[in-house]
This record gives sequence, structure tokens and C-alpha cells, in this order.
Amino acid sequence: MDLPFLEELKRVVIEGDVEKAKESAQRVSESDIDPLEAITEGLAKGAKEVGDKFGKGEAFLADLIMAGEAMKAGMAVLLPKLQAMKAKRKSLGKVVIGTVKGDIHSIGKDIVATLLEAEGFEVINLGEDVPTEKFIEKVKECHPNILGLSSLLTATMLTQKEVIEVLEKEGLREKVKVIIGGAPTTREWADEIEADGWSGDAISAVKLAKQLVAEKETQLRV
Amino acid sequence: MFELLSRDEIHAIHVAAMEILERIGIVIQHDGALRTLKKAGATIDKKKIVKIPEYLVREGLKKTPSRVLLKARNSKYDILIGDGNSYFTNGFGAHYTIDLETGQRRLSTLRDLEEFTLLSDYFPTVDYIKPNIIPQDLPKNILEQTMTLAEFKSAEKHCSVISLTSEGFRDVVEMSTILAGGEEAFLKNPSIIDAGFNNVPPLKYSEGIIEMILECAKYRIPFDISTGALASGSGPVTLAGTIVQGIAENHAIVVLTQLVGPGTPIMWGSCATILDQRYGTAAYGSPENGLIHAAFVQMAHYYGIPYYGAAGVVDSKVPDAQAAYENAINALIATLAGADVVHDGVYGILEAGVTACYEQFAISNEICNAIKRIARGIRINKETIALEIIEKVDHEKNYLTDLDALKFTKKHLIEEHWQPVITDRSSRSEWERKGAKDIVQRAREKVKEILATHKVEPLEKDIEQKMMEIIKEKAKKSA
Repeated sequence: MDLPFLEELKRVVIEGDVEKAKESAQRVSESDIDPLEAITEGLAKGAKEVGDKFGKGEAFLADLIMAGEAMKAGMAVLLPKLQAMKAKRKSLGKVVIGTVKGDIHSIGKDIVATLLEAEGFEVINLGEDVPTEKFIEKVKECHPNILGLSSLLTATMLTQKEVIEVLEKEGLREKVKVIIGGAPTTREWADEIEADGWSGDAISAVKLAKQLVAEKETQLRV
Repeated sequence: MFELLSRDEIHAIHVAAMEILERIGIVIQHDGALRTLKKAGATIDKKKIVKIPEYLVREGLKKTPSRVLLKARNSKYDILIGDGNSYFTNGFGAHYTIDLETGQRRLSTLRDLEEFTLLSDYFPTVDYIKPNIIPQDLPKNILEQTMTLAEFKSAEKHCSVISLTSEGFRDVVEMSTILAGGEEAFLKNPSIIDAGFNNVPPLKYSEGIIEMILECAKYRIPFDISTGALASGSGPVTLAGTIVQGIAENHAIVVLTQLVGPGTPIMWGSCATILDQRYGTAAYGSPENGLIHAAFVQMAHYYGIPYYGAAGVVDSKVPDAQAAYENAINALIATLAGADVVHDGVYGILEAGVTACYEQFAISNEICNAIKRIARGIRINKETIALEIIEKVDHEKNYLTDLDALKFTKKHLIEEHWQPVITDRSSRSEWERKGAKDIVQRAREKVKEILATHKVEPLEKDIEQKMMEIIKEKAKKSA
């Protein structure tokens, strides 16, 4: 089981120490410890612990983000060995997220992205002012479970509608769940543009994402 | 009354802000604005980062007025921002409302906007009016235009207009020229309206916002520019760092505006606060918000321009004790520090700008009335020192039994003692007799009374007609 190694990996992530995470991951990589176990029982456990504390209001966002960075740094070191073993980390799902074209606000969307990662999602953050074509391209390329669209200006809210319409036109609408957010948006707006969900804050966005992925799985089994 | 920073601290902040402008720069996503700034001496790089030398800031400030007369439909409500008083506005931008009848939280409507504007017209603490509500029951293509007509109709006080999209804003400006009595009258008196803008922190401005600011500069329409940084999110965790960043952000607009429209009045300031690191939410009711205002006021006055701050915004989701203390401490600090405009002071909105609440509005009016009383201070003169009356009353009588003292009371009572409206100070038995109500219940009753009885002079028929035409045209065009 190699408990000390796993405990160490978990600890450096909780401390948010990127350098130590790389070092510890390097040691694991040079040993015969299963890198997948190192990630799921070590690094990810650390991120989950900080994430849970954050959910209870007991940890700070800065700690959460730094824990995420430490986890990602450690994972990057272990990736070559993982690929060699043809092992793959099981994720809760894949999310593509971005702020729509014409809008350069980032913070809320970045908090959502961080929380999703801490929870176990694979997140592709396209940044801000993302052209609609780019969202479509990424949906085709990455096959995400969820597409998250953020808009913080009344003027750019209509672009959320546009992205959904283009997905429809390209025959992609059924393949991905679309969720929207941002200060001027409301649940009613999400209904109007036929999004799959809306969230007014980062914590409920994560709950929504988990719910939608679970729903899809149930649908597939049925 | 409250001076937070020393002269050295003010200077240190100024120097840092100049460093940001000149070395780090501001992103301005508007090619026309970039050309103007380049021509004036700023450097622009491919990523649309503008680096502005200090001399351009000094020149811009020289052209920025130290005061702006905001004109109202009824001239008795004209106010001179910068005259030493703190002027309060109501809250801006809710898109949900707690229904006055049912107590349910629901989407905001046009009718809510009309009612909140009417209440703003009534409440004596509101000196000029901001769009309290963004109605959710209007088609997006005529939202701003319909809001503007509703505001103009529902108040005689000066109205700050909505400025969300450049296309909508052009219509709003056209409607304002009609209100002023025609293009010529408007050009002579553009301060019949004013607008408000924010940047995208850190250090960025989007195209649409710049477009509207340039429109204001063209007509010399007064506007407020206030940094919206959230400390530890879109600004440094330290309050000093967030202030320094905000000053640089604001000054970029001062420079640009005065190059395009010299003499355009600018109300300059902050709606910055901290990001609550436990929840990832903006904490507007925090004491840090008030502190930022106190420091920022001094910076504005160091620059010789009026300070505009969003002080009084509430995080609480209900009109409870949290809402009351959040509104009170920040509106108070800003006023004591000398803010020229306490925006969001009379704050009838809960949940950091999201949910409008009628009761909260009446409660905030009461709080702000108390604050304004504090701002008026104590009159110290021969008469108020009352030596003669004290001598007259002597030891045996008191101020209720001596006739001269009673006359003295009648003469000065209203000026000296503020008379609250919904605050209970009665005896217990009286309070029980009247139904043992708390302030929220009393506020609700007061609001209903105002809505039923307060009347505003209607707009002249042809003015309203012309404005409706603009709305109809826009509705047809985009259909």
C-alpha cells in the first residue's frame, strides 16, 4: 500500500505546495508504486479534502486553487508513466467552460472551473471572449459531458443563446449538456434559451454538473 | 470628519497608481480610443495595452470639473455634486424582487421599476435616482429604452439613465434630448441625465463600455466611473493594492474622456470590495468596503474631483439585522469620510444587488436619514450654546416647565432633533397597543401608503409621445 508516500502526496496538495508536489511525484514515478493509485489515493484525496472543507466554508479559495495547482503539477509528472501503462484516471466527467465572445470577465467562471476540478471533473477552460466557433470546435474535439457558458454583461447574454442554436444546427445539441451562469442571467433565461441548467454560484454549479452527468448515465442505461 | 490616510500615504498611493498607468498599462479594447490616446502621447502595443504617462493624467484632471450640477425635471431637486454635501442615490440593478403582497421572491418587472422609482422620488434621503430594477419582463431589444421612459415618468428628481449596450444607449440619449426640450436645449444642459460605467478588473475596459463613454464625452454628459475590483480576486488581497489598481483604472478614463470632450464632468470612485475567500462571493457589506471608500474619497479630493462610491450595498438575503448593519456602517463611513456621492446608500436591494425589497428600501431611508443627521453635525453658536436659557431655567425648574425654555425648544427642535418615521421609540404599552410590530412590518405599511398616495407630475403629452415612438420604432426594427 505504501501509505507514507500516499500520505505525503496528500499532504503537499493540502498545503498547496507545487514544488513539493512535483518532487514527491518524481519519487513515486521512480519507485514501483502504481501511479494511478498515487493520483487517486494521494493527490486527488488531498484536493478532495480541501474541496470538502471549502464546501463547508472552512477553507479559503486561495487554498483550494493552490491545492488544485499542486495536484495538477504532481499529475503532470506522473503522466508519462501512466501513458506507458495505458492507465487512465477515472474522472467524473469532462467539462468545457468559457466566457462568451465580447465578454472579458473571468473570476466567477474560474472559480467554477477550480471547484469542478477539485471534485474530480476534467476541465478545459477556454478563457474569456471565446468565439462561438471555438466552443463548437472543442465540443467536436473533446466530447465533453458538459459545456459551461459564462456571461457577465447583459449585452453578451444573447451569445449564450447563439451558442446553443449553433450546437443545434450542427447536430451536436443532444451530445452535450449546456449550463449557463453569470450575474445578469437567471433560471428563467436558461429555460428560455433551452439550456440544460443554470447556476447562480460556483458551489451549486458543481452540484448541477454532477447531477447532469448522473442523469445522462441513467439515460444511457435505460 | 473621518480622515483615514495621512498625506504621505496619499502620496504613496498616487505614485503607485502612476507607475501602473505608465509601466503596466491598461487594456482598452476600442481602436478609436487607442488612436486618440496614441496621438496624445500614450504608447499602445499589439495587445491593446495603453501605457499613459503621468503628464497626461495631470492634464486630464485639470480639465475635469470639480463639481457637476445634476439637473432635475423639477428644478427644486437640482443638486450640485461637489458642494461639500454627501448626496445619496438609491440602489441599482436588481433583477429579482420580493413581492410586496406575497413575500415571494420572483423576477423583477417593469412595474417594480416604476414603483421603486416613485419611492425614490418620495424618500427624502434619495438625492438623485438610479435605475433600481432591470425588468425581466421586457424584450431585450427595447429594455433600456422602456426603462428610461419609466424612470422619467415616475420621478421629478434627477435620473441617472441605464447604460448597458451602445445601441440602447444611443436611443436613451435621444430620449434624453426630448426630455430636455430638444437637441439644442440638451447640448446646453446635458446634465439633465448622467450615466454610470465600470471596468473589467484587473486593468481592462471592454469595447462597449468605451463606446458609451465616448458618447458621453461627445455630448459632455456627466458620468460616474468606479472601479469594481474584488480584493483577492480581480484585485490584490490587500486593500491598499486594490485601491492603487482602481485609481489607475479610473484615471485611464479621465485621460481619454478629457481628450475627446474637455470639461465632461466625471464622478470618480469605487464600488470595489473584498472577495470572500470562503465562498468565492463578493462581500459588499464588509467593513473593508467602507475602508476602501474612506481612502478613495481622500484620493478623489487630492485629485480635485468629486468622489462617487457604492457604499451601503447589502449581502443579506432578507431585510434583517444583518442587512441593517451592513447598509448603515458603510453608508456612514463613506459620508463621514466626505464622499460627494454615496451611491447605493439608500439601498432597497438585498443579496449584493440581486433582489429588490420594498421594506428594506424604507428601512434604508430611515438609516440614511440618521446618517444625514450625523453629517449635519452640531450647530455651535451663541444661540445654540443656550447660556441665557440655562441661566433662566436655573435649578428649580426644567426645560419643560419654563416658558422661555419651551419657546426655545419650539424654535430649534426640528433643526436639532431628527424625527424618524418608522423607528419605534414609544413606550412599551404604546408599542403593544399598536400591534407590537417590528421595523419590517412598519416599513411595509409605510411603503404601501407611499405607493398609494405619492404623485409625480406626469411628463408632457408630446414628450411622452415622442419617447414612445422611439421605443415602437426599435421594437419594429428588431422584430
